[in-house]
Amino acid sequence: MRKKIIIPAAYLLLLGVLACEQDRLPIFGQRQVVPREENGKPVNDTVYHTIAPFTFTDQDGKTVTNETFKGKIYVADFFFTSCRTICPIMKTQMLRVYQEIQGDPEVLLLSHSIDPEYDTVELLHDFATRLEVKSDKWHFVTGQPKEYVFDLAQKSYFATAMEDKTEPDGFIHSGAFLLIDREGRIRGKYDGTKEDDVDRLMKDIKRLERE
Amino acid sequence: MSNAIIRLGLLGIGVAAFAFSLMACSSNSGKPDTSSVKFTQYVVRGEELYQKHCSNCHQKNGSGLGQVYPPLNTSDYMNQNFEKVLCLMKYGLKEPITVNGKSYVQPMPGVVTLTDLEIAEIATYIYNSWDHAQGIVDVTEVSSAIKNCVTADQ
Repeated sequence: MRKKIIIPAAYLLLLGVLACEQDRLPIFGQRQVVPREENGKPVNDTVYHTIAPFTFTDQDGKTVTNETFKGKIYVADFFFTSCRTICPIMKTQMLRVYQEIQGDPEVLLLSHSIDPEYDTVELLHDFATRLEVKSDKWHFVTGQPKEYVFDLAQKSYFATAMEDKTEPDGFIHSGAFLLIDREGRIRGKYDGTKEDDVDRLMKDIKRLERE
Repeated sequence: MSNAIIRLGLLGIGVAAFAFSLMACSSNSGKPDTSSVKFTQYVVRGEELYQKHCSNCHQKNGSGLGQVYPPLNTSDYMNQNFEKVLCLMKYGLKEPITVNGKSYVQPMPGVVTLTDLEIAEIATYIYNSWDHAQGIVDVTEVSSAIKNCVTADQ
């Protein structure tokens, strides 16, 4: 009699755990298992891919590093102000995210310029002011040389950003929005030019906050 | 015989006068003709071209984006600078402009490949959408405006 109850109960528990697991967002990138010893017993630690250390300057001339986002959730993208193809759509969509999270102290936004020679601090300041956004919430950053930001985009954020003189605006870059968790891990990738994908991002931010 | 000719002549004058008064009437009424097939074609093609070349920045609903890209849905600039608007679609705009009392500095790239007809179609679309109801912008009107802006630019 007791067995008859235990087995379905175990199933339910398992289902519950699975459902719980599914509610968690995936963690992007390669992971490594690092063995170590704890109180004389061997333990395995899983080390996840995280965003490499970075230093940029934002629209207020302030230094922005990983520390700025420590313990926070943030959304990152790559753009440049003179871009006329996908960036205006990305900025329209990021502005929707901004409006959604502006009252939430746990979430920040980070837009990297991939054209640091043209996008000076003054220009980014003007751009942000014209979008009517607060600089402590949405950082527009620039940093030399451009290879530095290309490298971070590709290796840390798995986003495409490079120079290409054959393109109408001189750069190739993806319109991706990357969702980064409190530990600097990528938890979601979204098409910043598509409204429904950005809706999904806004839902995922809420999910990530509940983790 | 001569009477008949006079009568016919008078009738002709009468018909012409009637037709003229009708034309005058329609142009005086201030309401643009938006019922023609040509108008509909211009608007439909214009919307397609607008979505392709303009809506990234000016948005599908013409609202613009903050103070980065100016709005078209309500725009005193569009109302006051009709010929300049035709020119900037093709040749772009570098100098700052003021729209509804706000300044905009972001340079606008032109689309030099646009034909006069395509400009007429886009103009018909934007000048008959949202807050605008100006009627058809004919290609002949565009062609003469475009000739002028080329000489002004060079």
